[in-house]
Amino acid sequence: MGGIIRLVVFGFLALSVVYLIVTVYARSVRRENLEKEFDAGGIEGSRDAFIAEGMARYRHSLRKKLLLGVYLVPMAVVAITIYLVNYQ
Amino acid sequence: MLTYLKWGFRIFLILLVGGFLHYTLPQHDIVRITNAYNRLTTVGANWLFYASPDTGTAEGTETRDIRFIDAVFADGSVIVYRNEDTGWVWPPYFKYDSSNLQAEAQNSKSSAAAPEWVSVTHYGWRFPFMSIYPNAVNITPVSGPDDTSVPWINIIVLTTLAFLALMIRRMWLQFRERAIDPVLADAGEAWDSVDAKADAARAKARGVFGRIGAWFNTWRSPPRR
Repeated sequence: MGGIIRLVVFGFLALSVVYLIVTVYARSVRRENLEKEFDAGGIEGSRDAFIAEGMARYRHSLRKKLLLGVYLVPMAVVAITIYLVNYQ
Repeated sequence: MLTYLKWGFRIFLILLVGGFLHYTLPQHDIVRITNAYNRLTTVGANWLFYASPDTGTAEGTETRDIRFIDAVFADGSVIVYRNEDTGWVWPPYFKYDSSNLQAEAQNSKSSAAAPEWVSVTHYGWRFPFMSIYPNAVNITPVSGPDDTSVPWINIIVLTTLAFLALMIRRMWLQFRERAIDPVLADAGEAWDSVDAKADAARAKARGVFGRIGAWFNTWRSPPRR
């Protein structure tokens, strides 16, 4: 029993670290793209407002995708492995 | 000298990572099983290559009842697998059906006259010098000793590892470009302005009276930035 608990706890911690790092990276890339898009010209309004609005919109879509990818995918992989190894 | 060190270190790293992957990733052997039994085995300095003990044990050596599976290849060479449950953490096989596997191995025993070939999925190394055995994970009957299979799991795992390595490199480059380089550029400008101020002060303090005046000026509060 302790083994499973250890797996769940450490797995959750490790995946949370991965989630944080990927969030920082994705937001950084998105901010850079927004800046380039504004600097390319043709957008009215202030630069800061444009970037802030784009980042706010990005936040929702990113969170959904990231939660799915970072937490669900490893859990599915573990489940498939358990099935393939033990129930052949 | 330094190039030797650099390359030596890189080669050592490659060997380490490659060896670790070769040990942990699954491999398939086409063998004929000859025996399946268990035996009291002492696990000492080679503890790293065995499953972690189920209960807390005294340090040093310990003697455990370990299941083994004897098998023979088509060319006549033999191999011995152990059949242990893996822990829940490492290596990530989540294997807990070693009793069932032992029963399957018993069922697949065959003689040289009427051979029954199976494909044993295993990980680990057989190194008699250290008394370590590969851990058998699965047994699948195959048609004959010439059967081949594509190592799907290995392909998927190695591709994922390569992708992860690439992503980590990109994350590092992005971090450096957005966070570190601008700060360094600012620091560089700050140093340049300090240099310029020092040059201006030195230019003012020329000659004996210039130097005395400059010294008197240091008693005043420093100029605002």
